[in-house]
Amino acid sequence: MSTTALASALAGKRVLICVGSGGVGKTTAAASLALRAAVDGRTSLVCTIDPAKRLANSLGLTGLGNTETQVPATALEPLGIKARAPLYAMMLDMKQTWDDLITRVAPPDQRERILSNRFYQSLSTALAGSQEYISMEKLWELRRRNSHELIVLDTPPTAHALDFLDAPNRVLDFLDNEAAKWLLAPALKAGKLGMSLFNRSGYVMRALAKFTGTEMLQELSNFMLAISSMNEGFRERARGVRELLEDPSTGFVLVTSPHPERMDEAIHFHTLLKQHRMGVVALVVNRVHPMPPEALWEDAATLTPTRRAKVEETLRELQVLAEQDGAGITQLQAACPGVPIIQVPRFEMDVHDITALWRTSRYLLGDESLS
Amino acid sequence: MAGLLDKRLWIVSGKGGVGKSTIAAALALASARAGRKTLVCEVNTQERVSRFLERPAAGPEVTLLEDNLWAVDVRPQEAMREYGLMVLRFEALYKTVFENRLVRYFLRFIPSLQELVLLGKIMFHLQEKGPDGRPRFDTIVMDAPATGHAISFLSVPQVLVQTVPPGPMSREAQKMRDLLVDPAVTAMVLVALPEEMPVNEALELHAALRDKVNIRTHSAVLNQAFPERFTEADLEALLGHPELHAVAKAHHDRAAQAVLAGTKLERNLHAPLFTVPRLFTPEFGRDAIEQVMGHLEPMVTGET
Repeated sequence: MSTTALASALAGKRVLICVGSGGVGKTTAAASLALRAAVDGRTSLVCTIDPAKRLANSLGLTGLGNTETQVPATALEPLGIKARAPLYAMMLDMKQTWDDLITRVAPPDQRERILSNRFYQSLSTALAGSQEYISMEKLWELRRRNSHELIVLDTPPTAHALDFLDAPNRVLDFLDNEAAKWLLAPALKAGKLGMSLFNRSGYVMRALAKFTGTEMLQELSNFMLAISSMNEGFRERARGVRELLEDPSTGFVLVTSPHPERMDEAIHFHTLLKQHRMGVVALVVNRVHPMPPEALWEDAATLTPTRRAKVEETLRELQVLAEQDGAGITQLQAACPGVPIIQVPRFEMDVHDITALWRTSRYLLGDESLS
Repeated sequence: MAGLLDKRLWIVSGKGGVGKSTIAAALALASARAGRKTLVCEVNTQERVSRFLERPAAGPEVTLLEDNLWAVDVRPQEAMREYGLMVLRFEALYKTVFENRLVRYFLRFIPSLQELVLLGKIMFHLQEKGPDGRPRFDTIVMDAPATGHAISFLSVPQVLVQTVPPGPMSREAQKMRDLLVDPAVTAMVLVALPEEMPVNEALELHAALRDKVNIRTHSAVLNQAFPERFTEADLEALLGHPELHAVAKAHHDRAAQAVLAGTKLERNLHAPLFTVPRLFTPEFGRDAIEQVMGHLEPMVTGET
């Protein structure tokens, strides 16, 4: 039995963040890790985003909102083992988390104004990076409460890897209205947009208004005014988030599938994490096709011709898939030197029940391995 | 069924990782082969389509890949510049205004402006005329973002029409919306894999586009399906060879999963479904795209 880099991370880290492109099995990896940590005796929380219904069901998460809930012991019954520490799970509701944040940090008389402002709606739902920001924000809050020994965070499917790492800065940028104040100053003073041609900001504003319409700018300035009192609070939290991400007790788990496109993205992501000085614990390659053993061919030779043909065709296909995956993994290792790569085989069916999570964790932790 | 060749804007979307770019590349190639001047638009991605076709990356300029086939990677900064120039008309004025640091700051945060200019550029090419006064492109293939982003991306014109006060932005949005919802112009193609989440996401996308944006699904593609191979009798006969049985059973289960996924998609989408089998080629390049194209032929021509 060998142990993997994830085994020591699971025993020592306080926060593990699973990152990667959409559809590679991040949620499964996150849930497996938290499950395993709880079984091994650390109070764990898995914070997921939009999990498959059956995965949510298997964790006893049906119909739960934005708070953490203990996974009932009955959910683990099919495994025939008992967790030595409690396992918690939650589904992150992005919009709700944003609204909670505003409710907490906004002065009472500004709350409603902010929550109903169109720019806030855009910030909380549509602004690129805002989902990433709010999940980081939630993580920071959960970590600060310090009620779990390990938090495993699943992350939103990121179209652009940069969104994730840039999110705190980007959102801060939005909220930092020094620039806005300067540009909008005449408008704010007059209570409407300054339109003087002789004033530089007036001129720029006119051109902008041609683009967006004046009412849009008016509403933006209203929003800026409403949130201006909250800036320091936001900045402090964003600093906290950044410190947390760089903290040695936080680790990133990069999840990918062996598909060449996904591998390219994983390599790109790895480079960015390194640039940001964030520690990558391991690269998990999910759904790897193992090479069918040689002995199977000999065995197949004993079958009737039709069946033999069918079996051999299947074996040939599996061989091609295994070769493709193997070549991809070799490239991945070359592109990310020094990062442990952990392979999880493709299971026959979709991985959604607790048994499959457990099986996944056995590969993640090195109890079993694809050689 | 009217084939895709009867439409001008083909939008391809689905969950991340289902092979949208593969399908978009195959459809674009089919359109070009049918003699249509075709532009394939990727939205701010890593330019997979040109790579699949084994051509140099197109970049942000419309680039000829081969006979009848052009590609472009629509990127926010360039699209914003083109749009800005259209509104402001003069390069110098554009520079003064749009290259102002503070203005750039604002533009980033105007709700949906980025999506609007990206979509706007694609819609511009749809309406673009050549020197002879005829459309520059017959077919536009849009390799759209994945589900969640696709819904917000394609809803942008509708949302702006509803929320933005009359002005240049809302006028643009109105024009785009009208083209997107016109079934004579636009065909929505949903891609899924024979797995739970990709199928569910295709159904969600279908419902959201229908209800929020009024775009109807033209057809669906079940990608990477395992064909049926082993009968129950085969499995039974293999019981004496446990390892081979496992191999056959796994194949059988994957094939069964594909049938199930196909049925679920057909029942809920009320749209024709086309199946592309899982390909077993060592390199996924042009040959593979041509094979995929073969399977999508009836979808393109409408002849079954």
